[in-house]
Amino acid sequence: MATDLKSIITNANTTELELVARYAMRGEDPRRERAFSAFAATGLPHRRMEAWRWSDFRAALPMLEAPKGTPNADPFAALQGPVIEINASRYILPSDLPVGLRILERPDADAFSRAEEMPLGALTAALAGRKGAASGLAIEVTEPVAEPLRIIARSERAEANLARISVIVRPGAHIDLVESHLGGAGLSSFLLDFTLQEGASATRTLYQNGAGDEAQAITANIRSASAARYAQTALAFGARITRIETHLTHQETGSQAVLNAAYLAASGRHVDFTSHIRHGAEACTTRQLTKGAVLDGGRGIFQGKFMVPRGVGQRTDAAMQHHALLLEDGAEVFAKPELEIYADDVECAHGNTCGALDNNQLFYMRQRGIPEHEAKAMLTQAFVAEAFDQAPDFASEILLSTAQTWLGANKAIA
Amino acid sequence: MRPMLNLNDLHATVGEGDEAKPILKGLSLEVPAGEVHAIMGPNGAGKSTLSYVLTGREGYEVTSGSATLEGADILDMAPEARAAAGLFLSFQYPVEIPGVPVMTFVRTAMNAQRKARGEDEVSAPDFIKKAREIGGQLNLTADMLKRPLNVGFSGGEKKRLEIFQMMMLEPRFAILDETDSGLDIDALKTVAEGVNVLRAPERGMLVITHYQRLLDHIKPDKVHVLSAGRIVKTGGPELALRLEEEGYDGVIGEAA
Repeated sequence: MATDLKSIITNANTTELELVARYAMRGEDPRRERAFSAFAATGLPHRRMEAWRWSDFRAALPMLEAPKGTPNADPFAALQGPVIEINASRYILPSDLPVGLRILERPDADAFSRAEEMPLGALTAALAGRKGAASGLAIEVTEPVAEPLRIIARSERAEANLARISVIVRPGAHIDLVESHLGGAGLSSFLLDFTLQEGASATRTLYQNGAGDEAQAITANIRSASAARYAQTALAFGARITRIETHLTHQETGSQAVLNAAYLAASGRHVDFTSHIRHGAEACTTRQLTKGAVLDGGRGIFQGKFMVPRGVGQRTDAAMQHHALLLEDGAEVFAKPELEIYADDVECAHGNTCGALDNNQLFYMRQRGIPEHEAKAMLTQAFVAEAFDQAPDFASEILLSTAQTWLGANKAIA
Repeated sequence: MRPMLNLNDLHATVGEGDEAKPILKGLSLEVPAGEVHAIMGPNGAGKSTLSYVLTGREGYEVTSGSATLEGADILDMAPEARAAAGLFLSFQYPVEIPGVPVMTFVRTAMNAQRKARGEDEVSAPDFIKKAREIGGQLNLTADMLKRPLNVGFSGGEKKRLEIFQMMMLEPRFAILDETDSGLDIDALKTVAEGVNVLRAPERGMLVITHYQRLLDHIKPDKVHVLSAGRIVKTGGPELALRLEEEGYDGVIGEAA
């Protein structure tokens, strides 16, 4: 390794040195170099960076090691439709594709314009894929596609699983994207570039579940054009550290977005939902609802930002809600909702609450004969269920029953 | 007749630590199977405290005395165990349970009680048939029973839902805490009919009320007057009428 590369990250830890070595092995490529330089400027994000104060990846990843266990099961396994699998940074493509869907393998790294704002996105843009194989995938949706397209990120005791997929949805086309982030790598990082053109629509359903010795980052950068509709629903159980970060820009008039999420964090699990929505055009709509439930030793984080610039952001209609349940003593939730509004003709609502289950409700249910742990599970399930309301029909039941299984299994909540 | 509910010299406090306030001060009461007893008393007498002490609500501590249901000490049991043993409370202020439909809630409760007693679960068709029948008697539509429990229901509808749950769960012993409050005269009749349907030789009931009017429709076998944490007077249904005419001060003053 060249000396200048060794010192590219200040006070690098073992993981960062390993990432530098992986970068050095890849061919020269100005886009790769720009992305990696942006990552190297900070290294793995850490608590002294404002946007990462509660999610310290550098501290959580001292070494890049394969996890001990096997990846989690996929709740969407029974769904029909084409599947892209990502295993230890290798892309496995479906043999048949429905009409309206094209997938291209990109040999070189693609540009990543937001590299400075998203250090783990930049890292993934630089290192996605394997040497001599595809760096990333480009997916084009040219008409409404009936079957969901599934992306499964799952490795078998790998050190890293780094992948990047770009999706463009052409005018009037539609796609249902279903992602399962199942772990199996010391560091899993997925970067999604999503472009919706005029009048296009898409749903994104995201399931994440990692082990206590894994780090996972899921970063999405979404651009939405005139009258496009985008609806995202996530269910996350966390890992040793997990960051699910979504940046969405309404670029043209009348674009609509839904960003819903639920997190359920048991002991030793850390889930961070961070989002940044820019109302860069008039009369765009955002609805965001995040629900969380956390047990003793678990940690949930919500950082949400709405940015409504002067002039272009008029007639914005946006609402941000985050509500969390601390199911036990020792559960932790950190929330930072931010509204930055510079336009004057705007409707922007927000709400943020954090508390325990209602004792009156618990007593009422127990008086009817429902045991305490079951009453807690029922109330918690009812609490998070609202987050799945906007998911596609084929997914909402699966998300709810997956949440229910976790609540039923965690007798600790009694 | 052997008493079904037996309360003996019950003392109880409300609140924690230094804040604990004695509310029940030596309450003794016997309700035999097959009888309906009414407890009447002024505000602050301890009526609601009694219902919460018997059902095991947190924050209500029994400091001495005993309470048994069919000979079993209920004070050591968790609230859900008391329910499985057959104790039901119709709440003065029914609690909203968002996201849990009435039918789901009652079926979960019924099966949890059955499981605790070592009985089989109720079958879905049997449950739905029974719910439709009882819902019909109480003017609760199938649509209402699909909505989340008590969410967006009027005060009268919530009270009818309490009676609906009682009729579905068929408890051995029911406590009705101010079930008449917030009811208009038609709703009061509907609720009373539901209660009267459940009168049975093997079942006991305790009706806690402020006013005589509920007792026009649910004829009690005995009326007890609760004042300052104790039963100060016991009589037949005529005692309720006297309370209505003379007020608590008159009747309690005479007892003291």
